[in-house]
Amino acid sequence: MHMADALLSAAVSSTMCAVSAAAIGYSITKINNNELSEKKIPLMAVAGAFIFAAQMINFTIPGTGSSGHIGGGILLAALLGSYPALLTISAVLIIQCLFFADGGLLALGCNIFNLGVIPCLLVYPLLFKPILKKKFSTSAIGIASIVAAIISLQLGAFGVVLQTQASGITELPFKTFALLMQSIHLAIGVVEGIITAGVLRFVYKMEPQILENANQKIVIGKVVPFRNKMIVMVAITIAVGGLFSIFASTYPDGLEWAIKKTAKTSLHAVNDHGRKKPLLETTARIQNITAFMPDYDYKLNSKRPSSEGTSVAGIIGSGLTFLLAGGTAFIISTAKKRRKRTTSVSANKI
Amino acid sequence: MDIRNKISAIYSLEQLSIGNTIIHSLHPLVKLITTFVFIITVISFDRHDFVRLVPFIFYPTILISLSEIPYSMLLKRVLIALPFCLFIGISNLVFEQESAFKIGNITVSFGVLSFVVILYRAYLCVMALLLLAGVTRFTELTAQLQRVKIPHIFIIMFEMTYRYIAVLFSEAASMRMAYVLRSPGARGVEIRHAGTFIGNLLLRSFDRAERIHSAMKCRGYMIKKITLNNKKLRMTDTIYCALICSFCLLFRFVDVANWITSLVERVL
Repeated sequence: MHMADALLSAAVSSTMCAVSAAAIGYSITKINNNELSEKKIPLMAVAGAFIFAAQMINFTIPGTGSSGHIGGGILLAALLGSYPALLTISAVLIIQCLFFADGGLLALGCNIFNLGVIPCLLVYPLLFKPILKKKFSTSAIGIASIVAAIISLQLGAFGVVLQTQASGITELPFKTFALLMQSIHLAIGVVEGIITAGVLRFVYKMEPQILENANQKIVIGKVVPFRNKMIVMVAITIAVGGLFSIFASTYPDGLEWAIKKTAKTSLHAVNDHGRKKPLLETTARIQNITAFMPDYDYKLNSKRPSSEGTSVAGIIGSGLTFLLAGGTAFIISTAKKRRKRTTSVSANKI
Repeated sequence: MDIRNKISAIYSLEQLSIGNTIIHSLHPLVKLITTFVFIITVISFDRHDFVRLVPFIFYPTILISLSEIPYSMLLKRVLIALPFCLFIGISNLVFEQESAFKIGNITVSFGVLSFVVILYRAYLCVMALLLLAGVTRFTELTAQLQRVKIPHIFIIMFEMTYRYIAVLFSEAASMRMAYVLRSPGARGVEIRHAGTFIGNLLLRSFDRAERIHSAMKCRGYMIKKITLNNKKLRMTDTIYCALICSFCLLFRFVDVANWITSLVERVL
C-alpha cells in the first residue's frame, strides 16, 4: 500500500509532507516531555527493526495458497503508545524508501500519514483504547486489534485513493478505484488484525505490563463515550468521501477532457447554459496557485504531436535521446575501465 | 530467499557507498538537494508528457556509470517498487481509450501514453533515490538530516533502527530455522502460530533493547546533540549542484524535446 513518487503531483506530495512533518514534530514534543524518553529510544528503535524482521516471515494462510505478513501500525501503537509508535513507523518507512525502493522520497508524507498517523494517532486512541477501557482481557485485546487493524487499513487505503485522485494521475473512476482498494484492504486488514491479535494476546499473557503501560501512559483529551467516537469517525469518513466524489464528478473526466483537447477550448469548462462551471474554475485556479510550476500547464500549452509525421518524429527523437544517454554512459564506463587497467598495469610494472 | 541472504541484500546498497568515485566524494547535502530537485521536477510533468520527460534519462544513466554502481542491482530494486504503479498504469490503459495519435495503422491511445509515463516516472524517481542511498554513506546522510534541523531524537532512532535490522533478522532467522526443524514438511510458518512466533520475537527484541540501553548507559550515553564534523562545500560540489539544478530547470521550462522532434522531422 506504499504510495510511489510517480503517482503523486508536486502539490499533493508537499501538502502531505507538511501534514506528516507536523504530526511527527508534535509527537517528538510529547515524547520529549516524558521522563522515560531516554529509555524509550532504544526500545522504539528495536521495535522498528522488529517490524522489518517480522515482515520477512510470511505466514501461510490455509486454503488460499497465499501468504501474508504484518504491517504493524496498530501493533506498535499498542506496544509503545501513540506518539513513540508514530516515530517508529516513520523511521521504518524512511528506511524502506531509501534502501528498499518501497515508496518514495516525496511520497513519504503520504505514506507516513496513511500508515503511521492514521493507525497511531487516530485509530489507536479513538478506537483501540476505548475498547480496552472497560475490561483489559485477552478477548478484548483480540477484538480491539482486529477492529482497529481493519479500520486503519480501510482509512489508509482510502487515503491512497484520495491522494492518487487528487494528483490527477489516474483515469480510474473514483468509485471503482475506491471500491477495489477498500475490498482488497478489507481482506488484508482481516489477516493483519488476526496476526496483531495473536501477537498482542501472547505478549499480554507473557508480560502484561508492556501493554498496560502503553495503554495508560499517554492520556489524550477528555474521555468521550466510545459510541460517540464511532459516530464521529463514520461521519467524518462519509463527509470526506461524499465531498470528494462531488469534487471528482465536477472535475472534467477523461472524455470531457479529450473533447476539450480536440476542440482546443480553454481550461474553463462551459456547462449547458454557456456559463463557466464555478467549481472547476476555482479548482483550476487553486491548482495554478499551488502547482510547483504553474505556467507550464500541459493542458494550455500542449504541443502534442498533431499529425502522424510529428508523432513518428517524436518517437524517433525520444529513441535517439535514450541512445545518446546510453552511449554516454557506455563511453564513461569504458573510459573508467581503461583507466583502471592502465593504472593497474603501471602499478604492476613498478 | 533465505533470511540471511536478505540481510546482505539490505546492506549491499549501503556497502557501495564506501566507493571512491567523483560522485561518492561529492558533499552529501548537495546529493540530497539534487535528488530532491530531480524528483520534484520529474513528478511535476503531466501524465501524458512522455516526450518532455525523455531527456531526464540522462541523470540516472550518467550517474550510474560515474558512480560505478552495478545496474542489475538497482534494476532489481526498481522492479520491486513497480507493482502499484503498474496497477494504476494498467487501469489508465483500460479507461483512457481516446486515441492520442496514429502511427501507420496503429492507434496509440492516451491510456498507453499515460501507462508508459507512469512506469517511466517510477523508474526515474526510484533510480534517483537508490542512487542517493548508493553513493552516500549512512552516517553522512544522517548528519545532513541534523543539519537541516530534523530533531535529534528522531535521527538517533532512525540510525539505531537501521543498525538493529541485521541483529533482529538473525534472531528471526534462527527462530524460523528452529520452527522448520520441528515441523517437517511445512512450507512456512502457519498463520495460527503467527501470534506466538512474532510475540516471541518481540519479547526477545525488547529484552535486547533493554540490554542495549544498559550497555549504552555504561558507556556514558545521554540524549544530547552529538557534534559531527561536517564536510565543507567545495567548488566541485557547487558546480555539480548548479549543473543538475539548471539541467532540471532547463528541461522543465524549455521544451527541448520539441526541438529534437522538429529536428528529426526536418531530417525526415
